[in-house]
Amino acid sequence: MAAAAKPVSGPTYADIDRGVRKIMEAPGLAYWAWVGFCFTLVAIAAALWTRQIYEGLGVTGLRQGPMWAMYITNFVFWVGIAHSGTLISAILYLFRTRWRTAVYRVAETMTLFAVLTAGLFPIIHVGRPWYAYWLLPYPNERSLQPDFRSPLVWDAFAVSTYLTISALFLIMGLIPDVANARDVAKGWRKVLYSIVSLGWQGTDTQWQHWSMAYLLLAGLATPLVLSVHSVVSWDFAMAQLPGWHSTIFAPYFVAGAIFSGVAMVLTLVIPMRKIMHLEDLITDWHLDSLAKVILLTGLIVTYSYGIESFMVWYSKDPIEMMTFHERYFGYHGWVFWVCIFCNCIVPLALFSPRIRRNTVLLFIITIFVNIGMWFERFMIVAVSQENNFNPSQWAIYHPSITEIMITVGSFGWFLGLFSLFARFMPIISMTELKEGIHWLREAVRDDYYPGLK
Amino acid sequence: MSGEIDVIGSFATEEMCVHAIEELKDARIKPTRVFAPIPSEHINHALGYGRSPVRALVLTGGITGILTGFAVTIGTSMEWWLNAGGKPIVSLPPFIIIAFELMILFGGTSAVLGFLLNSRMPQLDPLPGYSERFSSDRFGVLVRCAESEKDRVEGILKEAGAETVAHQAA
Repeated sequence: MAAAAKPVSGPTYADIDRGVRKIMEAPGLAYWAWVGFCFTLVAIAAALWTRQIYEGLGVTGLRQGPMWAMYITNFVFWVGIAHSGTLISAILYLFRTRWRTAVYRVAETMTLFAVLTAGLFPIIHVGRPWYAYWLLPYPNERSLQPDFRSPLVWDAFAVSTYLTISALFLIMGLIPDVANARDVAKGWRKVLYSIVSLGWQGTDTQWQHWSMAYLLLAGLATPLVLSVHSVVSWDFAMAQLPGWHSTIFAPYFVAGAIFSGVAMVLTLVIPMRKIMHLEDLITDWHLDSLAKVILLTGLIVTYSYGIESFMVWYSKDPIEMMTFHERYFGYHGWVFWVCIFCNCIVPLALFSPRIRRNTVLLFIITIFVNIGMWFERFMIVAVSQENNFNPSQWAIYHPSITEIMITVGSFGWFLGLFSLFARFMPIISMTELKEGIHWLREAVRDDYYPGLK
Repeated sequence: MSGEIDVIGSFATEEMCVHAIEELKDARIKPTRVFAPIPSEHINHALGYGRSPVRALVLTGGITGILTGFAVTIGTSMEWWLNAGGKPIVSLPPFIIIAFELMILFGGTSAVLGFLLNSRMPQLDPLPGYSERFSSDRFGVLVRCAESEKDRVEGILKEAGAETVAHQAA
């Protein structure tokens, strides 16, 4: 005969459900004010984009020389932000990493919305968005057959595949949790959750096939995430331009993507945890583990800066040397030093366990990393184009208000979509927290770092 | 079917649920369906499940993706000759990237389709025996049996630690 259920200390399945369902309760005025603010930024950006469509790209700072500037910076930045989501949800799933369970849904959601944000920028950048479909690789009769040897075409395949697989992966994980929410929901939410959960009832056969499909999706998403940012880096590395033409770009971009993405996860999770009182589900241990990933990838990024400069010095190529001299000490030299400060120096504070567990300091550090990584993308994309082989094309890039406000609007778009999702869908995976409930109980008891309490 | 009845036991833990399945198997009774709030290898093992056929679909999808990638790139390049800097018209190294991305796209899509097809989803109506708690914090074991067997099945489920045992006409 089976023994009776033993009493447990720490969260139970019901506690997890209660905690996550609480987030999904009807939001208050402050929430709607925040969402309204985000979409106001989007509306301003949309108005300026409309003006850009009407008047042409002349309203931007794009000129001969720096033709890829803020828009493509934003594209690379947002694709990079997306990457840590797949790292946490797929790669760490394959490694059975214990701390991922509480934060992976946040990361995965961030991935989807970051890719959706990134995807807007090539369309905005082309100037005539009604021709954006020409980017799609399909045979046509306009002598515009896509050149499959071009990295831009690889990018179209890579990013659209990434968007599809990220969306499928997110939906697959959501199904059991949304079914859970469906069973207690009322009114329109019940209808919505019934549709999204596809009638999931947690039967043995459903779980059997779900587990296999989820595992294989994780297995497929793992090489995908590495390939996508490699392909994005080849948009630059395949060109001859000094500052772009570098063999280290693929690992350099991937490390930077994970660095910035994990920082963004923490930027989102820390306030969410505080506002919604989720300390028992997202513990200090989870934040500490994410901070360690930032520290590691930050060191890789620092190494990449060093080796990139070393390769230029070692090559003794005069044009490369000049480009990098301008990068460090030229008109936009401050951008490089902002990167060094934010991406190389500030994250070193994370060597201290006390700082990793101080949520205020950790939040501030992640903001620095976000700023630093945006400027790193700007430095690579825009500043490198200010000097090239042809002095007649040398130019300084000055962003216009249109580009600046569309950039700000992209943050509003991303944060607004994320905030809506976080309130109306399970933003923490109940299923995976329950699967790893022993670890969660240990984390809540603070067994991992008893000396620091 | 007349004369048959569904007996549903509800369990607080995965261990008890697995124990109940084992006890039923020992009594030569096959559980009709098990409900769980989490995926459980122990339950799958107790039920004697092998590997899911989703694997084969993903493999098929992945191979189809690779072939499609090469067919699209080679086929269209041969159809529309585009000389770019004297590079070969059929340049396999860059085409591998397209084939790789399509392998992931087709493989991933097949995984989701395989899951839906094999799980008979979308499932529009609640399955017999389903309770809202089975998506939350309880495990359920459903046995469809002859009415004459009802007491025996109930006894096994209770003996295995079921919190509640309910029954309904099949």
